[in-house]
Amino acid sequence: MPEILVEGVSKTLGGLLTLGEINLKAGDGDFVGILGPSGCGKSTLFNIISGLMQPDRGRVFIDGQDVTGRTGRVSYMRQKDLLLPSLNIIENVSIPLVLKGMPKKKACAEAALHFNRFGLAGFENYYPRQLSGGMRQRAAMLRTYLFSSDILLLDEPFASLDAITKRKMQVWLIDVFNAVNPTVMYITHDVDEALYLCDRIYVLSGCPTVVKLEISIPFRRPAHGRTIIDAAYGAIRDKVMEALEI
Amino acid sequence: MKKFRSTADSVVPFVFIGLLLAGWEYTVKLKSIPEWILPGPVQIVRTLIDNAPLIAKHAQSTLIECLAGFAVAILFSFIVAFLMDEISLFRKAVYPLIVASQTIPIVSVAPLFIIWFGYGILPKIIVVVLVCFFPIAISLLSGLAAVDNDYLELFRSMQASKLKIFRMVKLPLAMPSFFAGLRISAAYSVMGAVIGEWLGAKQGLGTYMTLAQRSFQVDRVFAAILAVTLLSAALFALVSIIERIVIPWNRLNDK
Repeated sequence: MPEILVEGVSKTLGGLLTLGEINLKAGDGDFVGILGPSGCGKSTLFNIISGLMQPDRGRVFIDGQDVTGRTGRVSYMRQKDLLLPSLNIIENVSIPLVLKGMPKKKACAEAALHFNRFGLAGFENYYPRQLSGGMRQRAAMLRTYLFSSDILLLDEPFASLDAITKRKMQVWLIDVFNAVNPTVMYITHDVDEALYLCDRIYVLSGCPTVVKLEISIPFRRPAHGRTIIDAAYGAIRDKVMEALEI
Repeated sequence: MKKFRSTADSVVPFVFIGLLLAGWEYTVKLKSIPEWILPGPVQIVRTLIDNAPLIAKHAQSTLIECLAGFAVAILFSFIVAFLMDEISLFRKAVYPLIVASQTIPIVSVAPLFIIWFGYGILPKIIVVVLVCFFPIAISLLSGLAAVDNDYLELFRSMQASKLKIFRMVKLPLAMPSFFAGLRISAAYSVMGAVIGEWLGAKQGLGTYMTLAQRSFQVDRVFAAILAVTLLSAALFALVSIIERIVIPWNRLNDK
């Protein structure tokens, strides 16, 4: 049961209280959005959940296990694709398997099984520089998935893409999510993206960051990126906007 | 049209050099400047061809010194850059020393190597190492330091060991910068060997040059200079070819 529980996490960075007492929860198969202004410590929060950074106070539990300050349970994907330009796509995405000790050939074969589902079929032997931004993010997502398939931390993965590509990638992400059903935490500062993708949204404040609003999204994701026409949409969007002080 | 322009671009330097050489040849002929003061380019090429076997023999020893020194410099650079990158105390201690060492003129210390190590090949190799080490080490080091911290965090979050991060991430990402330094020192290495030979050697282009100079065979001096230039260019080209083989991906342009 992959479940993420963040309990009372706080962190001071460079003398500035960045995170003040954050409590979050993501249940099995949840798609949880973390929405907040830029520079409010959302990435710091992910650094703590992934174990790269120790919180000053508070604990992080995954499946009921205390993983505070320990890497390896979850990996996370950022706005930058961070693919190695020296390796082709299949070598790049099989890196997590190789790091876990799998022989390179076997790791590539294992990674190849997922290329179709991630919309990367046919691009195995391309180098990252030969691909568009959208394709590179798909590869980065597959690499993240191959490290920990049940929990994905996504830190503004589509923020650097143009609007049309971004929408296509959101639709694609939903398809992937429906197929493999992982627990997802998704950082964004785009309200509509959050409302479109997530089951539940935490709205964070500016520094020091606290949870201002936790809200469940009652409507289902519309098929193929069509407009959300649910009657509740406007009211929820306004509530989120209000919490963001827009 | 575009293709025409790019061909024209590559022709321009050759035409310019051709004009310069023609001007030189013409001036020498017209003013009948004696050969022992300034020979024309035609005469220099003729001397080079006439003395080809002898010059080739000397060039061979110079080349051996270059390659040996070059190899040692690369090895040292890797060791020093690795230690400096991984151990910040080592970096703090050694970095100023390496930079300061560059202010010492090689020509002034080279005679000491002859006093210490004799007239053999060793002092020349040391000079080549000294000349080549700095550009290679600094370019490798700055390449390693320029690696985006996000890469390191990503790999740490995937529980990669320090050594694996160095081998899988830092080293490949530093390669383009490393090769830039390598190309520069490839051209410098011949100069280093020639300086070493000037001060006393049994063989090598530097020796040949000094001997020709002492007997006022200026055309031979120029022929030797031409040989040095060709050798440098050849080493430069060799490094470029190796670069293409080792990091083919670097020639792909970002989309």
